[in-house]
Amino acid sequence: MLARLKAPQWAGLGLIGGLVIFPYVIAVLTGQPVDSGVPKFWQGMLIQVFILAVFAMSYDILMGYTGILSFGHALFFGTGAYTIGILLKHAGWDLGSAFVAVIVIAIVQSLIVGLLSLRVSGVYFAMVTLAFAQMFFLLAEATDFRQWTGAEDGLQSIPVPAWISPTTERLRFYYLALVFAIAMYLIARQIVNSPTGRVMMAIRDNEVRAKVLGYNTLIFKLIAITVSGVMAALAGALNALWNLNANPAVLSVATTINALLMTIIGGVGSLIGPMLGAGVIQLLGYWLNVFFGPSWPLLFGIVYILIVLFLPYGIVGTWRLRGTSWLEQWRRRWQELTVRS
Amino acid sequence: MIEWIKYRRGLIIGIGAIILFAYWATTTYEPRVLASILLSGLTLGALYFLVTSGLSLIFGLMDVLNFAHGTLFMIGAYVGFTLYANPRLLLNTVPFVIAVAAGWLLAGWLPVKRIRAPGWLFWIGAVIVAMMAVWGFELAPLATTALSSGGRIPTEQAQAPTAIFVIRTLGLAVAGLIAGIAFLVGKEHAQQPLSAKLLVPLGMLTLALIIAPIRLSAEGWLLSLNSNTRFLLALLVGASSGAALGGLMEWSLIRPLYSRPIYQVLVTLGLVFVGTELVKAIWGPGGYFMELPEWFSRRGPGCPSPNLIAWLQDNCASIDVLGRPFPSYRVFIIALGLVMFIGTAILLQRTRLGMIIRAGVQDSEMVQALGINVRRVFTLVFALGAGLAALGGVAAAPFLGISPGLGQEFQLQAFIAVVIGGMGSFTGAALGALLVGLARAFGDQIVLTGIQLPWMSEAMSFSPSIARASTVLIMALVLLLRPAGLFGKKE
Repeated sequence: MLARLKAPQWAGLGLIGGLVIFPYVIAVLTGQPVDSGVPKFWQGMLIQVFILAVFAMSYDILMGYTGILSFGHALFFGTGAYTIGILLKHAGWDLGSAFVAVIVIAIVQSLIVGLLSLRVSGVYFAMVTLAFAQMFFLLAEATDFRQWTGAEDGLQSIPVPAWISPTTERLRFYYLALVFAIAMYLIARQIVNSPTGRVMMAIRDNEVRAKVLGYNTLIFKLIAITVSGVMAALAGALNALWNLNANPAVLSVATTINALLMTIIGGVGSLIGPMLGAGVIQLLGYWLNVFFGPSWPLLFGIVYILIVLFLPYGIVGTWRLRGTSWLEQWRRRWQELTVRS
Repeated sequence: MIEWIKYRRGLIIGIGAIILFAYWATTTYEPRVLASILLSGLTLGALYFLVTSGLSLIFGLMDVLNFAHGTLFMIGAYVGFTLYANPRLLLNTVPFVIAVAAGWLLAGWLPVKRIRAPGWLFWIGAVIVAMMAVWGFELAPLATTALSSGGRIPTEQAQAPTAIFVIRTLGLAVAGLIAGIAFLVGKEHAQQPLSAKLLVPLGMLTLALIIAPIRLSAEGWLLSLNSNTRFLLALLVGASSGAALGGLMEWSLIRPLYSRPIYQVLVTLGLVFVGTELVKAIWGPGGYFMELPEWFSRRGPGCPSPNLIAWLQDNCASIDVLGRPFPSYRVFIIALGLVMFIGTAILLQRTRLGMIIRAGVQDSEMVQALGINVRRVFTLVFALGAGLAALGGVAAAPFLGISPGLGQEFQLQAFIAVVIGGMGSFTGAALGALLVGLARAFGDQIVLTGIQLPWMSEAMSFSPSIARASTVLIMALVLLLRPAGLFGKKE
C-alpha cells in the first residue's frame, strides 16, 4: 500500500511525521525538557500556526474554490472565539456542548450573512461582508454588553478545563491542535473533491455557465460560505482556548487581512497553500520582529505587495506552474554534471 | 397605476420613510436641537462626500475598488497638519522627492536603446545608490521634534548640515536616473522626448538644490505666517500631495494589474497596511491635535457670533444657531464640501474631460476605440479622487484629531455610503454620504439622550459604538430593497 503513494503524499506524510516528533527533536537539540523552556515556546508558536492554518484554509474555500472575495471572514473567527468564551465563562457549559454550540451558531450566522450579502456579487460582496464584520467588531467593543463581552478589554481568563490547559498541558494542547488541523484538512479535501466541490469550482470559473447547466448557484455559494464559516468559527474557538481570552481584535479587519495574506502567499486555490502560508507568515513575522523591531509590519506589507505583483499564484501555485519544468532542468543539469565527471 | 407603483417601489418606500422620520424628529426634538443635529450631520456628510466621490468615480470608471482611499485621507491629514505645525519635515524631504523625479525624467535623454545589459541590474544599482544616499537619514526625529514639544524648537535640531543634504539630493537624483534607465531598457517603443522639455527635469533639479540651503530660513518664514494663510497652504499642499500619491499609485501598482482585477483590490488592501505602518513609523502611533486657525478660534466678548455675516468680521469660534452655539469651523467644512460638490459636478458636466469620464463610466472600451487615451484619464481620475480624499483629511484634522486609525474609520463609513448611493454614480455618492452623515448625527444625539418610542415607559440608552454600528443596518436595508444602491446601475 505504501508503494502506491505518490510524491506529494509522501511529502505530506513526512510533514505530519516531522510535526509529530517536532517537540522531542527541539527538546533533544536544546537539551531542555520537552514541557518547558525553548521547546515549550516553539510548541506555542506552532499551535498558533495550526490554528491560523485552519482559518486561512477556510478562507480559501471561499476565495480560491468558489471565487467569492470576502473581506469579513474575521466575523466567523471572532464569533467562534466569543461564543466559546461566553459559554465557558458565563454559562458554565462543558467543552463538548460549547463546541456544538459554536458549530450551530456558525451555521446560522453564515446562512444569514450569506443570504443578505449574496444579493450582490464581486467587490460589492467584499464591501458588504466587511461592513457586517465591522458591525460585530463595534458591538464587541460596545460598553452596553460589558458584563458579557468585557467591552474593549475583551473576555479575559476563559476557564479552560485543566486537562488541555495551554499553560500547564502545552504538549497535549500541541497534539490536539495538530490533530484538529489535520482533521480539518481532510474534511476540506473531501468537500472540495466531492461533486459539490466541483460545482463550487464551476461557479468560480463561470457562474453563468454553472447556472445554465441547471445548478442553483445560490445554494452552492451558501454551502461554501457555511462550510468555510464553520471551519473559521472552530479555529476561532480553539484560538480563544489557546489565548485564554477573546478580545475585539479577533473581529477586526486586521484578522481578515491576515487570512488573506496567508492565502495569497501560500497560493490561492489549493488547501495546503494557505496552511503553508500561515506557517510562513507566523515564522516570518517572528523573525522580522526579532531583526527589525517594531517597524516589521511595514516590511511585511512591502513583501506582500511585491508578492501580489510578481508572484500572484503564491508558493504552491507557482510550484504547480513551474515546478515540473524546474525539476526537469535540475535533473538535466545533474545528469550533465555526472556524465562529464 | 399598479405597474407605476411597482416600478418605483424603492422610491415610494424611501419617501415614506423620510416623511415618517421627519415627523418623528420634529416631534421629539426642539427646533434648535434639531437644527444643530442637522448641521452636524451635514458636516460629517461633507467629509464623507469628499471620500465617497473619489471612491465612486474610480470604481465607476475603471472597476477598481480602492481600499486605500481612507489611507489617502489619513495621509492627507498628516501632511497638511505637518505643514501647518512643523514644516521642517516637508522641507527636508520634498527636495529628495523632486530630485528622484528629475533623475527619472532625465533618463529619457540617454541613448538607452544601445544598452544591452538586463534591466534588473539597473534596478539593483538604483536601490543601492538610493540606499547609500539616504544612509543615516532619519525621518522620525524630524517629524516629532516640533510636534511633541508644542512650541518653537531650536532650528538646527534633527537637520543634516547643508553640504550633506546637497550630497544626498544629488545621490537620489542619480538613483532616479538609474531607475529611469532600468525602466526604459528593453522597451522597444521608448520614444525620444522633445528637446524643449529638457528644461523641466533640469528646472526640478535646480529647485531641489535651491531648497537645500534655504531650508532653515524657509521654515522660520512659514511659521511666522498668519495661521489662516498657513491653514490654506496646508489644505493646498495636503490635497496636492494626496493627488500626487494617487496618480503614482495608479501608474505604478494598479495599471500593471488591469488584466487581473482581483489583484488590484488585494494591492490596495496591502497599501492600507503599508500606509498605516509608514505613518506610524514616521509620526509615531499616538494621535495629534491640530489647532484651529484664527478665523475659527476667537473666544471672549461678543461671541458666539449672532449670524454668519457677523462671523466674517469677528471670527468667533462658534455661531449662534437658534440660540445654540455651533462651531464655526464645521460651517467651513460644510461650505468646503458644497464647493467641492459643485466644482466636481461642473467638471463632470461642463468640460471635455468630464464628458470623457462620464463616457468612460458607461463604456471605457468604446472611449478607447474612439481614439482617446483612456489610461491617461484613469490616472487623472485616480489623482483627482485621491486629492479630494486628502483635502477631506486636512479639513477633518482640526475637527476630529489625527491618528493612524482615522483612515479605517472613514473608510468603513464611506463604503457604507457608497453602497447606499450606488457605485459609480456621482449623485449617489453625494446622497449616500449625506444620509450616512445624518444617520451618524442622529445616532450621536440618541446616544446622548437615549431614545423613547411611544410604547416605552423609560428612555433606552446606548453606547456610541452602537450608534456607529447602526449605519450598517441602514446599508442592509437598502441592499434588501435595491441591491444596486439608490442610484446604481442595474447589474
